[in-house]
Amino acid sequence: MFAYVIRRLVYGAVTLLALSMVVFWLLQKTGASPLDRLKLNPRIQPDYLASLTERYGLDKSGPEQYWIWLKRFVTPREASIGGLPSILAISAGVAYSVLASRFIKSRQFAVRIAKIGAGVLIWGFVLFTVWNRMNIVLDWGDSFRGDGPVFEDITLAAGASFRLGMTALFLAVMIGIPLGIYQATKQYSFFDQLGTTFSFVAFSTPIFIIGVFLQLGLGLYLERWTGVKLFYVAGMTSSSYESFTTLQRAGDILQHLALPAISIAAISLAGYSRFQRASMLEVLHSDYLRTAKAKGLPRRRVILKHALRNAMIPIVTLISLDIASIIGGAIITESIFGWPGVGRLYIDAINAVDYPAIMAVVMAIGAGIVVMNIVADILYGVLDPRVRYE
Amino acid sequence: MTEPLLSVKDLRTYFSTEEGIVRAVDGISFDLMPGERLGVVGESGSGKSVTAMSIMRLVEPPAGEIVTGTVTYHGRNLLAITEDEMRAVRGGQIAMIFQDPMTSLNPVYTVGDQLIETIMLHQDVNKRDARNVAAQALSDVQIPNAADRLDDYPHQFSGGMRQRVMIAMGLSCNPEVLIADEPTTALDVTTQAQIMDLMLRLAADRGTAVILITHDLGVVAGFCDNVQVMYAGGIVERGSNDDIFYRPQHPYTWGLLGSMTRLDEEQQVRLHSIRGAPPSVIDLPDGCRFRPRCDFATDRCAQELPLLRKIEGRGEVACHHAEELDLEITRAVGAAG
Ligand SMILES: Nc1ncnc2c1ncn2[C@@H]1O[C@H](COP(=O)(O)OP(=O)(O)O)[C@@H](O)[C@H]1O
Ligand SMILES: [Mg+2]
Repeated sequence: MFAYVIRRLVYGAVTLLALSMVVFWLLQKTGASPLDRLKLNPRIQPDYLASLTERYGLDKSGPEQYWIWLKRFVTPREASIGGLPSILAISAGVAYSVLASRFIKSRQFAVRIAKIGAGVLIWGFVLFTVWNRMNIVLDWGDSFRGDGPVFEDITLAAGASFRLGMTALFLAVMIGIPLGIYQATKQYSFFDQLGTTFSFVAFSTPIFIIGVFLQLGLGLYLERWTGVKLFYVAGMTSSSYESFTTLQRAGDILQHLALPAISIAAISLAGYSRFQRASMLEVLHSDYLRTAKAKGLPRRRVILKHALRNAMIPIVTLISLDIASIIGGAIITESIFGWPGVGRLYIDAINAVDYPAIMAVVMAIGAGIVVMNIVADILYGVLDPRVRYE
Repeated sequence: MTEPLLSVKDLRTYFSTEEGIVRAVDGISFDLMPGERLGVVGESGSGKSVTAMSIMRLVEPPAGEIVTGTVTYHGRNLLAITEDEMRAVRGGQIAMIFQDPMTSLNPVYTVGDQLIETIMLHQDVNKRDARNVAAQALSDVQIPNAADRLDDYPHQFSGGMRQRVMIAMGLSCNPEVLIADEPTTALDVTTQAQIMDLMLRLAADRGTAVILITHDLGVVAGFCDNVQVMYAGGIVERGSNDDIFYRPQHPYTWGLLGSMTRLDEEQQVRLHSIRGAPPSVIDLPDGCRFRPRCDFATDRCAQELPLLRKIEGRGEVACHHAEELDLEITRAVGAAG
């Protein structure tokens, strides 16, 4: 499995490289320049434009510009992994993984668990050692709009998108999956029909309608009628956030988070419940479930043990890929709710033809997809013993 | 005379589908004696599996429903007891083996897990003892390195080996009745005989009665004491192995025997076969269900549903003309198989 992960990471890096070339080339082909807007301003001096042209490297050929970008992108501003202890720890981890996967072949359950357990312990120790000593600051080039490296912008934006996206995903998964399971076990009952109706309505309503309705209903009118401000309709925190106590901060975060998270969750919950229902139904009609019933197992055990794990296999992949898409932010929702996430950063970067920022967003999304695909495949193997990493 | 172990009376199981009511099992009655090997044969769609599923009470509502009937087992009607009581019977006293071993085991749990689960459900043993019982069960079905193989997943076994696992699972709790629904249909011919042999030998050792469902008369000829022939949800003929194979009385049974091929014959001639296709059990004809395909049908057959009746010196048959017909068996199909 170790070799498998390494190989997948190498493929992933190659994919990202190819992605960066294609996107960079496409950007060049649009013919838009980051200076277009400045050029329209009559008060800006030509020699200032010339200095910017040189600073951004816009006078160079496309491939040259790409090369300059790539060098900045892959070179961290600061990098040290923490000297000998870190190197030793990493070597130990690699050595264990290589030896274990080469020499411990037994499929006995106890042996497998011991092997994986030892691996987790050793790699945990490695991470702990390295994490405390290393110092890596990425750079990813300077933004054309501001002054700092775009890596800082994207970290902030990704943090915001993550907070929103993970909350929404959590809600969707925690509600959608049990809902789908329940619907499948009570197929065609009143509750099942109700769930189906809800799903189709939620799924076919555009998010900007759900978002605006929530803003009006729970944000505006609720306050007007009750006099209590429960939910905020824009932003991530209040302006006086810094002066709050920890408890107030938590409350403030939730009040801002609720509406955008519910908007996204409503739609993706609908999707999850449908998907889970379908996958559960398929399993419920399978031969091995008939066997489980014929053995005399109670219905609960049949469903919770024999059906659920099989029905979850495709869902885990879906969740993993959903997490990958969270990194790209939710463009529409972030715009409606003034959420400073990656989606908004992306729009701003494109409007300003800010090459490093655009590339940063693209690469972050790409890296997220690559990593989560690997995670999905590993989880797949954990849930489904038929999958082998060879 | 000994009491029957399992007694099915006037069982009717219907399914409501978009095309109409499917009368999959329509009024069948039979007894199973302790230790008996009862073969149930019939074309596909004749209601063999639904019969088995009805006895196990595994017919899925709301589409499927056991409309009437009783299944008496140790003085209790299995169709009337509570679900909890029924669960103790299922797998513990009446076990079932299914047709397709490739899909009948849960792919994400080890074979041992699935065996141990069954054993712990029906026997008062702890996990360690259950594991030993499971290992013994696997070695009884002649799986090499049984104890080690408990930790393997179903996909690590071949089709034949998986069916052995299913047999081990079925017999692990020493049931009184084993229902095997086409247990070898999905396997290749050489494996078929081995598996069948093994299953019936193990059942005989334990005194387990077997209901062997199959569409293959050859299998029945080799392994069963008694045979009942099903057609369109009903039983058309029943008798000892010899009755059915040497003295068939129903034109349908006769047709089935005629379409059997024997490898040891020089010329593979088909002396007679059954014309037409099996009827849809949605629109059954009035009278005898076999009438549209029968060469001997008369007006009476169109009006009156023949009931199963005993013929002197022979088995039971549901045909108005059993006495008149002389269904000569031109080829010897021996009970020796
Ligand atoms: N779940 C079901 N829903 C509707 N019809 C069914 C169902 N199960 C079985 N049937 C119908 O019942 C009839 C008998 O089926 P079955 O007992 O499986 O036949 P076989 O003798 O081949 O085992 C067939 O016509 C089949 O289509
Ligand atoms: Mg069948």
